[in-house]
Amino acid sequence: MTNIEKRHNINTNNLSGEAYFTSILQESYVCGLLNDSDIENIQLQCIKFLAYKSERYNSGDSSSIRIETAESIMKSNLYTIGLYLKSMPDADCAVSELKTAIIQEMYQKGRKLINTKLNTTKHMYKLAERNKLITLNYTYNATLNDNGIGTFFKSYNPDYEAHESPASIDYQLCIPVTDLAGIEFIQKYLENLFLENEFCKNFAAEDIHHLLCGYDAGYSDLLINIFELLYTSAIGCLLANRSAVKLDISVGEIKHLHNELSKDDDYSLALKIRKASEKLLEDLSVSSLSLRRYIEKCLPKITSNIIYGVRSSNLSKTFISPSNSDLKSKIEFLPGMKMDDEDYRKLIKELLICRYSSDKLELIKEKIKSFGDLEDVLFDAHLCEDEFTSIFDILGDVEIAALVKRHPFKTDIQVVDLSEAEQSLRLYLKSYIDQLTADRQKQIFEIVNRLIDD
Amino acid sequence: MSFEIMSIYSSLIQNQAVAEIEKCNDFTAQFGLALSYLDAIELVETRSIALKSNGRIEFGGGVIDKIIMQFCDSPYISMHNYAETIHELTEMFYYYKNETLDLISDDELIKFMKNSFDGKCQGSLELLSGRELANMARNLRYGYAPDYSEDLTCDMEDEDDEY
Repeated sequence: MTNIEKRHNINTNNLSGEAYFTSILQESYVCGLLNDSDIENIQLQCIKFLAYKSERYNSGDSSSIRIETAESIMKSNLYTIGLYLKSMPDADCAVSELKTAIIQEMYQKGRKLINTKLNTTKHMYKLAERNKLITLNYTYNATLNDNGIGTFFKSYNPDYEAHESPASIDYQLCIPVTDLAGIEFIQKYLENLFLENEFCKNFAAEDIHHLLCGYDAGYSDLLINIFELLYTSAIGCLLANRSAVKLDISVGEIKHLHNELSKDDDYSLALKIRKASEKLLEDLSVSSLSLRRYIEKCLPKITSNIIYGVRSSNLSKTFISPSNSDLKSKIEFLPGMKMDDEDYRKLIKELLICRYSSDKLELIKEKIKSFGDLEDVLFDAHLCEDEFTSIFDILGDVEIAALVKRHPFKTDIQVVDLSEAEQSLRLYLKSYIDQLTADRQKQIFEIVNRLIDD
Repeated sequence: MSFEIMSIYSSLIQNQAVAEIEKCNDFTAQFGLALSYLDAIELVETRSIALKSNGRIEFGGGVIDKIIMQFCDSPYISMHNYAETIHELTEMFYYYKNETLDLISDDELIKFMKNSFDGKCQGSLELLSGRELANMARNLRYGYAPDYSEDLTCDMEDEDDEY
């Protein structure tokens, strides 16, 4: 016998982190540590304390209160007491405290703990903000922001809603925070986010961007966990004997790696991944104990992802090859100089009185010399769909692509706010493109993607 | 182990409320009004039902004694309609606590009820509930003063138009 451990009466596995107080009462009643009269006494004290808190909530103006509000206050009280009981050395100490202490006193101690935790969490938020990553991912930026997690510090009500976490948190961590509520949840979330940031800071923002582009070109709008993708890819690089810091692994290398890894059984695969993870921490000189512990916790999830990737021959989805979208050639489209206002007015007047479409087309061909003027004419000349189509016919792919880029047709709902002329231009342009051959459509959309924004 | 609030509703609180109602008899005697022990129990029952149907909870003795003390000098209450009126007023009170979104305190609501009952409603509980309290609750919800009246502003506008 190497370790001597104290024998506990209460099975801590049965205790809930979210509703600690009620679960410890239940557990100690089942174990016989609390009898019926103890429970009744605690319940009566809780009701009396609820009456006191409800009166304070109403500022003495009202003798009655809505049941939902009373229930919320009760939950808040129990949460605060639970927080104090959690701070005891172990569950058995918490039960003996429950037997002797007065509910109101335990609440006050819990309330003080909330204040301390609130200060710690504020500090944690500042730290996480300070080591925030430079990324285009929307959910990441929106969460680690004053309008995301920052709202918590303005809206949190520790007196009556201590168990709530009023904040907008959409960014998912590698290991989601579960079984915690209120301030504890926010604190844990921020701690983990800080650690993930600390790990990701070992890589250049540009490399992270290229890696995420390799995952999906539209990664900025996806609900992804940056840390998980980075950590997995870094392990992949090490398994392929590449430098983990640059995250540079090619599609061919991933294929080769798949052939190599598929020879191993699950156990040796897991061993290889663990070794790679240890080497990664060494290469990145990660010395922080808390970060090492966090990574250790994430490793089983990453390992099972990699093993699944190997077994389903889908490793290219697990290990990502970076894609440098900046290397693709870009097209800068210059719309040219617009004509004089007086001349433009004359042209529009002529176009409006013109009876035949062919004459209108001839006029446009003759007088319009710039893309800007053409755009204006499409809006102002009250042309019909056939006339639009004839004009589009004389334009080249680049001009059509520029029109698509500037006047994209999305959905019927999205165009309702636009002017009538803009709506018809978008609609006619879309129907024109739809009737083109698939090859030409592909060519045009390729140009659209390469066009530099105005 | 249940911590549902309604289930632990103590009979102690009920007894306290009955005692408080009976105590009011000392004061209301000067107006020729008195409630028996049974009346008091029935009033507390009415309160419990009103609280339950309006989704509310009360910890102290409640507001019945406040309603009695405020309404006992009303010229429209006599011994023959006393208990019945207090029953109705109690139900009305809790209903309008919700309807006013708790924006008005107990004392203010009871005072408003008393003034309207003795004044505009001339002792009619239907008018009090269906018109005065409903208007007041709507005013509060829309951010007006409790006694704000659209008729009044219309009248004033009409007068302005005449000149």
